[in-house]
Amino acid sequence: MNFKNTLTKNYKSFLFFLILLIVVIGLFSLVTGYLSISLSDIWATMIGKGTKRNQLLLIEFRLPRLLVAVLAGASLGVAGTLFQGITQNELADPGIIGINSGAGLAVVVFLTIRSSQINSSSLINVISLPFAAFAGGLIAAFSIYVIAWKKGITPIRMVLVGIGVNAGFGALLTMLQLRMDESDFNQVAIWLSGSIWNAHWPAVFSLLPWVIFLIPISIYKSRILNILQLGDQMAVGLGVSIELERVKMIAIGVALAGASVSVAGGISFLGLGAPHIARKLVGNKHERLLPVAACIGALVLLISDSISRNLLAPSEVPVGLVVSVLGAPYFLYLLVNSES
Amino acid sequence: MKKILSGSVLLVLGLTLSACGSNQSDSSETSLEETTENSASKVMTDKLGNEVEIPDNPEKVLASYLEDYLVALDVIPVAQWSVYDGESIQEYLQDELVGVPLIPHDLPYESVLEYEPDLMIVRDAIEPDMYDQYAQITPTYVLNSSPTEWRETLTEIGEVLGKEEKAKSVLDSYEKKAEEKASELAKVADGESAAAIWMVNNSLFVVHPKRSSGAVLYEDLGLAVPEVVSELSSDADWAAISLEELAKMDVDHLFFVNSDGPNAEMFEDRLWQNIPAVQNEQVYEFGPETSWLYYGPIASEQVMDDVVESITNSVQ
Repeated sequence: MNFKNTLTKNYKSFLFFLILLIVVIGLFSLVTGYLSISLSDIWATMIGKGTKRNQLLLIEFRLPRLLVAVLAGASLGVAGTLFQGITQNELADPGIIGINSGAGLAVVVFLTIRSSQINSSSLINVISLPFAAFAGGLIAAFSIYVIAWKKGITPIRMVLVGIGVNAGFGALLTMLQLRMDESDFNQVAIWLSGSIWNAHWPAVFSLLPWVIFLIPISIYKSRILNILQLGDQMAVGLGVSIELERVKMIAIGVALAGASVSVAGGISFLGLGAPHIARKLVGNKHERLLPVAACIGALVLLISDSISRNLLAPSEVPVGLVVSVLGAPYFLYLLVNSES
Repeated sequence: MKKILSGSVLLVLGLTLSACGSNQSDSSETSLEETTENSASKVMTDKLGNEVEIPDNPEKVLASYLEDYLVALDVIPVAQWSVYDGESIQEYLQDELVGVPLIPHDLPYESVLEYEPDLMIVRDAIEPDMYDQYAQITPTYVLNSSPTEWRETLTEIGEVLGKEEKAKSVLDSYEKKAEEKASELAKVADGESAAAIWMVNNSLFVVHPKRSSGAVLYEDLGLAVPEVVSELSSDADWAAISLEELAKMDVDHLFFVNSDGPNAEMFEDRLWQNIPAVQNEQVYEFGPETSWLYYGPIASEQVMDDVVESITNSVQ
């Protein structure tokens, strides 16, 4: 564990390195794609001297995608860390315990209602999506809490009930999908498998405020999360009102996961994997864990998006599938390793 | 703790700044568009309610899956519809479209941008979000006419492209030809019935009597609609039909579009072999590369030729 100690000691430079890595890979992702563009063209476009084609390509198509990948990845990383902290279970993930499918269900219902009233302003629609997702996620979280409640909540019960709730919402979603016509069905199916391919600026702006407010708040709550790790009794002994704090933290996690689901669809494994990797790197102290998990989440989604754009260019693989393909082996590796 | 906070705030700030930066260039881009705008253009309202500014005499037109209409109006598009990297294209138009590059059917932004069209025409199936992105590349017009009405579609595309006259003459000569062919058919096959069946993945489908090649058979050429066909027709262009129902169908001429090739399992089936039209050798087979599954003036005319040729040959 020397490596971990070194990283923990030089934590600030490590975080800086991660952010730098995001910037470098982000640049790389801007340059690559079906249409080629050189670094000097990018520079010319950034200072406003590019051709119209390059402006569209970079600023309207690739940049918003890149930002959505970074923002959604960071929120999923943080949401996952929060849920794992609250449930004290390293397998908890907003995707596994049903928060994402609750949010997804709400978004699909919202979209179905919306499509019957044509011609409402696009920006308002996009910005209201995260709220619908938040509401759906809250309903899921509330159901979990109510069902798992037995004179208080044990974390493990919460995860198990969450898996059940996830299956329930998944079934409702399938039911809804089967009543759709073919093109809506396909659209929802692609969206649910995690897709940011038509990410545009309204999507970035609808996600940004959630990330700006909620990630710093989560980091501010690190102390409470650290205390919760000591177990419920210890936490109560240290003067933390655990139920209240848990509810607050769940709300933050649901909001982050919901916002990300509303623009990027159901991206699984990221909420599970990012905190894991982060924990391996900098340990279990949340003031270090949360920012690193955010960066790792952003990095993984960014890299996956680059792969999904370039693998079958100009057509696309849903980014959620790429994340799953990358994430599933890691998950298995974790399981095998934890056995030994 | 504070340093971590300020670190994450910096990260967020950086993101916001880059977003702002792009906004500025956003506005400069619209002004760029305005200055280069052609003075000659017209405004048309499309299906989504957009007021689309359409340039006069657009040179580079993109209208994926509407190539039939373009070709009929003597317009060669900058790129043509394709599925799976060109595995499937509109074969029946390739005499005119040979050498025209392919574009994936889902129209990725970067592919559209690659061809830098002056004008894009699409059907309604795109999302509003995608429309906004396309509209930034080029004026994008969503057709008002229904996909099942090729005559209306032709007229509308003619209007958009400023080729109303040409559209009208294409329609007129089509109607004239249809009238001639119908009377030609009436001489050899008066009151006889016909149906078009499509076999794909070992399943059978029968054409809707008012859609696609069905409209040509019954409305343009005056062949009779078998009872089973009018009973089956749902809202789909091609309705599923079982082999049993097909065997019961009382039909004089069977036009058979075979997407499964000559060794299809269906041909082994006793039921198939007992279909009256099969026994009388009044089944006319066509490959999926023919125009039977499509819509448009060229597709319809080719179907019309196929029908008249098959029936007159079988009578002789």
